[in-house]
Amino acid sequence: MRSLLIISFIILLASCKKNDQPLPIFGEREFNGKDTTYHTIAPFAFIDQDGALITNDTFADKIYVADFFFTTCRTICPIMKSQMKRVYDATANDPDVLILSHTIDPEYDTVELLNNYAKMLEVTSDRWHFVTGERDSIYKAAQTSYFVTAREDRTEADGFIHSGAFLLVDKKQRIRGKYDGTREADVDRLLNDIKKLRSEGE
Amino acid sequence: MRLLVISASLFLFFSCKSKSDIELQQYYIQGEVLYTKYCGNCHQEDGSGLGLLYPPINKSDFIDNNFPEVICIMRYGKSTPTVVNGKTFNQPMKGIAALTDLDVAEIATYIYNNWDRRRGIVKVEEVAAEMNKCKQE
Repeated sequence: MRSLLIISFIILLASCKKNDQPLPIFGEREFNGKDTTYHTIAPFAFIDQDGALITNDTFADKIYVADFFFTTCRTICPIMKSQMKRVYDATANDPDVLILSHTIDPEYDTVELLNNYAKMLEVTSDRWHFVTGERDSIYKAAQTSYFVTAREDRTEADGFIHSGAFLLVDKKQRIRGKYDGTREADVDRLLNDIKKLRSEGE
Repeated sequence: MRLLVISASLFLFFSCKSKSDIELQQYYIQGEVLYTKYCGNCHQEDGSGLGLLYPPINKSDFIDNNFPEVICIMRYGKSTPTVVNGKTFNQPMKGIAALTDLDVAEIATYIYNNWDRRRGIVKVEEVAAEMNKCKQE
């Protein structure tokens, strides 16, 4: 009997640890003796598929998932978009969860084209923003804010090098998770982490 | 003893498989590899497609009813609208010129013997004949 108790206690402890562990906070941090300052998404301004201005304020008090893609990419992007659609569908009833997809080919991916792309993906701009903007600003945001690779490379099959990562950003604009957007299991982990993050604020 | 009987009957069962069954299996397995490499990114591994961007392959009246065209599209692509299960898809598909007749036969064997389809093997000669027709069009 006693051993049963001990065993169940251990199981309880182990399961608690797994579930209660808070999500990590990515990036460098500074401690000024009193408060810790974390890495946050730098100020940005892009235009979405409706021609609306999208800035950090769009995501004020929202959790969001960000990625980088382009519409003519035939390698990893279609897989990423089908996985992101899963995120979109899974969070349909969570008004505080949004999606932000940046094109890394802004010369080609105009507002009109992104609008059409979103329509064909059967998603709406109130929850999923497809943004375009200055090429260098997008690349800089990818590299310095989200820690992912995005750049032009004519030697690549479709002309660009970019990461297939999904980034989970919390309500304070801190990165809390990085996932491989081409792997279903990793996107399952993201969906689970979104739940964790939502309960964190409560 | 029972194990011996089971394994003996299993052995008998597999060795009874005809030559054409084995060929079908070979085409199907290689077709799955090629499908994953050339088609699965857009049409998805499970053939479900994506929104109105990429039509489904798994449950598709277009695939069911347009065998000759499906063969041609793999190599030559399609730029006209395609109606699949009542929905219109407008995105053009680029052909994959690198696919040989054998590659196309294997992919077609995979597509037409998967997802509740039982067409049987799609032979290279069949593909070659269809390719000749669409070249002329």
